[in-house]
Amino acid sequence: MPFILSTLSRLFFFIMLAVSLFILLRGHNEPGGGFVGGLIAAAAFATLVLANGVNSARAVLRIHPVVLMGVGLGLAVLSGLPGLVSNASYLSHWWVDIAGTHLGTATVFDVGVYFVVMGGILCLVFRLYEEAVQ
Amino acid sequence: MPFEAIIAIALAGALIARPVAPLIGRWSGWVFAVLPLSLFVFLAAHIPQIGVEGVLLATHEWIPSLGIALGFRLDGFSLLFSLLITGIGTLVVIYAGSYFAEKPPAQAGRFLALILLFMTAMLGTVLSDDLIVMFVFWELTSLTSFMLIGFDSHKLEARKSALQSLLVTGGGGLALFAGILLIGLTLGTFSFTEVIARSDELIAGPYLVPIIILILAGAFTKSAQFPFHFWLPNAMAAPTPASAYLHSATMVKLGVFLLARFDGVFADVPAFGVTLVIFGMITMSIAAFEALRASGFKAVLAQSTVASLGILVMLIGLDGEVAVVATVGFIITHAFYKAALFFCAGTAIHATGESSLRKLGGLARFLPITAAAAVLASLSMAGLPPFVGFISKEYLFEAQLESNWNMVPVIVAVLVNAIMVGVAGVVSIRPFFLNRDRITSVHHGEKPGLLVGPLLLASAGILMGFFSQYAAQLLIAPAASALYGAPIDVSFALWHGLTPMLALSALVVTIGALILVFWDSIHIVLRRRRVLHGLFGDRGYQAVHDGILGFARASTRWLQNGDQNHYTAIVVATVVLVLAVGMLASEDGLALALSDDPFRISVIAVLAIAAVGAMSSIFARSLIAALVCVGIVGFASALLFMMNGAPDLALTQFAVETLLVIILSAILLRLPVRRHHTRSLTERRRDGFLAVAFSGVIFVAIVSMTAMPLDFRLSEYFGQTSYLEAYGRNVVNVILVDYRAIDTLGEIAVVAFATMAAWALLRSATAKPGKDGKG
Repeated sequence: MPFILSTLSRLFFFIMLAVSLFILLRGHNEPGGGFVGGLIAAAAFATLVLANGVNSARAVLRIHPVVLMGVGLGLAVLSGLPGLVSNASYLSHWWVDIAGTHLGTATVFDVGVYFVVMGGILCLVFRLYEEAVQ
Repeated sequence: MPFEAIIAIALAGALIARPVAPLIGRWSGWVFAVLPLSLFVFLAAHIPQIGVEGVLLATHEWIPSLGIALGFRLDGFSLLFSLLITGIGTLVVIYAGSYFAEKPPAQAGRFLALILLFMTAMLGTVLSDDLIVMFVFWELTSLTSFMLIGFDSHKLEARKSALQSLLVTGGGGLALFAGILLIGLTLGTFSFTEVIARSDELIAGPYLVPIIILILAGAFTKSAQFPFHFWLPNAMAAPTPASAYLHSATMVKLGVFLLARFDGVFADVPAFGVTLVIFGMITMSIAAFEALRASGFKAVLAQSTVASLGILVMLIGLDGEVAVVATVGFIITHAFYKAALFFCAGTAIHATGESSLRKLGGLARFLPITAAAAVLASLSMAGLPPFVGFISKEYLFEAQLESNWNMVPVIVAVLVNAIMVGVAGVVSIRPFFLNRDRITSVHHGEKPGLLVGPLLLASAGILMGFFSQYAAQLLIAPAASALYGAPIDVSFALWHGLTPMLALSALVVTIGALILVFWDSIHIVLRRRRVLHGLFGDRGYQAVHDGILGFARASTRWLQNGDQNHYTAIVVATVVLVLAVGMLASEDGLALALSDDPFRISVIAVLAIAAVGAMSSIFARSLIAALVCVGIVGFASALLFMMNGAPDLALTQFAVETLLVIILSAILLRLPVRRHHTRSLTERRRDGFLAVAFSGVIFVAIVSMTAMPLDFRLSEYFGQTSYLEAYGRNVVNVILVDYRAIDTLGEIAVVAFATMAAWALLRSATAKPGKDGKG
């Protein structure tokens, strides 16, 4: 196992994860969003896979990537429900204004996209690298 | 009148039946019967009101943008059907509780849940006023029927029959849906009440013929009319309580229900009635003939059910008040005696384990009350006085004699009814009283739960015969008036005097008795003729079914032969062809023009990098090197996005390219490192030709597209409103998560499911036993 890569991968992992969250959250006003954020998060875990193997990446992720996709899809579906209450139209988003920052169900929806993309990519990465090592 | 409450209560029962029934154990049938029984009582309490007011309507908004409302309509006809559904439903639930007593409790729970779900769907279908709502419930009956026919899913026959019934009734359902949409297109409403009020507009409308054909297709498939008559006898693979309920008393009558409803709408279209009479006659003749050939207990009953449905369809096609009364009367009569006979058949088959009439005999020793019920029910079926079957047969002949038709329908009806008399005798006398040596012991005797249903229904047949004036006033007159559109004075009485109908009845009974006496010889002669095997069966269905599967297999073999090069070639060739034809055929023609934008040296540089990457991928010796070269093209295009004001796209492209290299190298690492090309020179030439053609077509397409004036209205709208309405300045993201969020939802669902499928495929291809636990 390459020592330098393994050590640096921890650092890169946290930086990439932080960047992915940053990109996810700023996506509404600046370039970014759930899709790109999810891709970068997946890349963060892929770095761990390349450096330390699938098992350590799995251990860091804790939950199964398929479950992650399910959670994301569930969040996206649920985020549309409040719209049914107020506007009688699915996926009409709700907003709250907290100190100039608008937060709403659209953010939840974007987080859902983030998880689905991240989980989907990681499904493939984990599976393929597991095979490659054996 | 809380219609929704009725449906909601039934649905709630269906939902709790599966978990709760096993807890109650052997009494579950009795306990759950309370639910349909209370609905029955509740509906029955509306009989006086309907008798006075005629129609009760209730409407709630559902999807106003599509003009669909939760509209419900209770008139005499739907009340009659709801009473049959809940009444017979009660008996079926009680019967099923005992029928499944020896089976695992979970199985009984599953069955009760399906039966109650089916009851919900039936109630919804007959009570809906909105045609779209009716269609939704209509399809639910097809689905529950599929589940119930395939209930014994370990049997190949059950699965096959279930699929067949689903394909036939589901296909008919789609036709019906198309017909409903055309009605909505013509009249601008889906409310049946309005459709019948404005029927002259519908008849004058442009879609009259397609509407009639589509509705007939829906009704004929559901009610097993020729040429779709084959599925119902096969549906006998269902457990007998389900056969009694779905495939004789209620669901198969939905087609009749629909036709009777629309008979009022198409009253001024003569061809509608003529078609019904002709198809009804063909169906009843075929079914009566097949009944003579059938040897299974349930099979004989099923064929006679198809014949009865044919009689009903023919009656609807006849004009006049008498025909309407005859229709309604026969619906009730048939539901009573046929459900009772199915119950008796179920008990006999369940107690002996034999389903063929040729192996059953002398069961009256073991099942005396069941035998009595079978005899009572079959007397009503045979149409003997004083049973209600006699009255409805009189009405059938009167309706035929009063119509404008010649004697053909009468002759057919006499013959078919005579065979029904024979069937009635065969199914009641032979298994229960003759051939006592065939059965020497039974698995179980009679239980109260197995007796309530057949006894009540069979005795109702004779009670209705004696007290026919009450039945006429309370049930038949409101139902017939609702169908006829005007009040009808119904004199549904046993004795009509010495009429031609009485003579015909006598003739029917005489021929029927002869058929009964010579049943064995007729049966054997008909069965010996090999020509007759499958003559009226499902050969046509099989041919279509196998043909479609064969086509699918052949096209799959050609399209998906496992060669990745082949797939790519097909996809690329298709794109080239479609784009080229599309561009050449378009009216605007090709508008090739150079853009006026200034020449940017940076763009040229990036393009040059991309070109170098693409060229080197062709000459790369190893796959890994080729992958890196393709990656260069990807990063170059990301740079282009960045330079042209699409940072979101660029960001995504960078991320995708990175992950693509990671994923693909995992795959490539496991491929053998090939030094030589595996493709022959001809193949490589073809690949090269395709690649050049693809790039050429795409180039021309892009140039001509950008030369056309762009419509910026949508972009401007999004740009202006994205912050005001959706609080986001990144228009791309706002479109994704807000304006077009439902599209995004669909896309991420596709991503999730496709990935899951790929993940599962990768797992099964390399799974090692006992090792890959984590997945």
